[in-house]
Amino acid sequence: MDRPVVLSINNLTKMFGGLCAVNDFSGSLKENQIIGIIGPNGAGKTTILNTVSGVYPPTQGQIIFKGTDISKFQPHKINHMGIARTFQNIRLFQDMTVLETIMTAYSWRSPYSIFESMFSFPRVARYEKEIKEKSMHFLEKVNLVECAEVNAQSLPYGMQRRVEIARALASEPLVLLLDEPGAGLNQTEVHDLVELIKGLHKELGLSIILIDHRMDVIMNLCEWIYVQDFGKCIAQGTPEEIQKNPIVIKAYLGEEINNA
Amino acid sequence: MGFYLTLAINIAVFSIAVLGTFMLTGMNGLFSLGQAAFMGLGAYISAILVVNYHLPFALAVLISILTCAFLAFLVGSATLRIRQDFFALATFGFGQAVTAFMTEYVSVTGGAMGFSNIPNFTTPALAFISLAVAIFIVWSIRRSHYGRDSLAIRSNELAAKVEGINVLKHKVIIFIIAAAFAAYAGALMAFHTRYVEPNMYGWITSVTWIIIVYFGGRDSLTGTIIGAIILYLAPEILRFTTAWRILIYCVIILLIINIRPRGLFGTWELSFKPLLKLFRSKKQEVN
Repeated sequence: MDRPVVLSINNLTKMFGGLCAVNDFSGSLKENQIIGIIGPNGAGKTTILNTVSGVYPPTQGQIIFKGTDISKFQPHKINHMGIARTFQNIRLFQDMTVLETIMTAYSWRSPYSIFESMFSFPRVARYEKEIKEKSMHFLEKVNLVECAEVNAQSLPYGMQRRVEIARALASEPLVLLLDEPGAGLNQTEVHDLVELIKGLHKELGLSIILIDHRMDVIMNLCEWIYVQDFGKCIAQGTPEEIQKNPIVIKAYLGEEINNA
Repeated sequence: MGFYLTLAINIAVFSIAVLGTFMLTGMNGLFSLGQAAFMGLGAYISAILVVNYHLPFALAVLISILTCAFLAFLVGSATLRIRQDFFALATFGFGQAVTAFMTEYVSVTGGAMGFSNIPNFTTPALAFISLAVAIFIVWSIRRSHYGRDSLAIRSNELAAKVEGINVLKHKVIIFIIAAAFAAYAGALMAFHTRYVEPNMYGWITSVTWIIIVYFGGRDSLTGTIIGAIILYLAPEILRFTTAWRILIYCVIILLIINIRPRGLFGTWELSFKPLLKLFRSKKQEVN
């Protein structure tokens, strides 16, 4: 258990006006580790991911990634450094095929300038062909090859989720942030998703922060779990510890359970 | 020059500016009410440089394009950070300021009387080749990652950002290209009508271009060009209806936008692929 820490969040606080969405959260993510953040609705789970991915800056605290404090960085800069994410409410692009959606992840790495693209230099077509193949490779990973030319938003919900994961993977990140990947999926879809995440984690050696309030997803995947309630971190530990923790049970069920 | 040829050049030149609006409003969903001001600046700068300073035509046009591109860079960097509705207001202010400047700075621009005695350098060939090149440029941009980024930013800016797309930089680049298109169209127009006046380049012209883009289809390059041809031709064709002209023009636009909300052409594009295929299969038959 002496893997290096890739991402550490130190004393993160985020206020929205008078509302304290996240209060003094600290946590760290080690290399090739899956950690989970659980908690009821409004506990500040998504806010943590949003500050890590740069959607808004934290009110206080630091987010250290690769030795740099990224808490004030713009989202695209954070993506360039190697953190990719998905959204709870799926955010795909309109009027785009699945393949094109994945290809957007390569835009910032394209070697050609705007002038070359204005006059259709041969390099443009060559690079486009190259990233098309690379994107297909990521579609293979999430089993969506046969949907490559389909409009992404016309797919069923579970598949859209996989498109989003493939798009995040195409950024070739070190750290993947998954915001409630199980939301809105049925039991079989959730099962497939858990298998998919397990496979990707093993194959690509990613470090993953996973948010969910479905216990089966979290308990199945995570090595270490943080429990958030009303913006505060009330417990952390391994899945076994969390399942037995009386504070966690209270937060979830609203009452103390006597030994039965 | 015959009436029809003059009209055709007019439409071709305006279409170049409309292509700028197509990139900005159609592809990126950014509403600029100051696009026509860039056309006005392009017209004035190139005309003044040629008439008063005797610069060669090509150099004057180049200077006018570069000036407008630089201005677009300044205006864009300042205003594209803010929300899109405020961007529309900011560009509106910019456009009105530019036309006010043209009207008030009489000693250089000739004021509301306009600036005249411009030589006629815009030959039909120059106008039509320019339009063809402009279409090629827009077509190329749409095929590159800039086209994909535009669509991504238009439909979900946040998702585009976390995908690593530098949204501000992208928007500024597109704004600069659109301004350069408008400036070039302005220069061609000045040396075509041989006369420039500030009135032509107010916000109404900018709005007309946006209407053309939506009329033809904001996702269709073909639609935009055909939309520009139809809507610039319509006032001439409807001339016999005299006073009712504007009303009929507006009714046509309203009908199209209501019946076909995605524009006349939707996402349809003119493609030469079927023709090429036909040609190839014929060749094989001959062989």
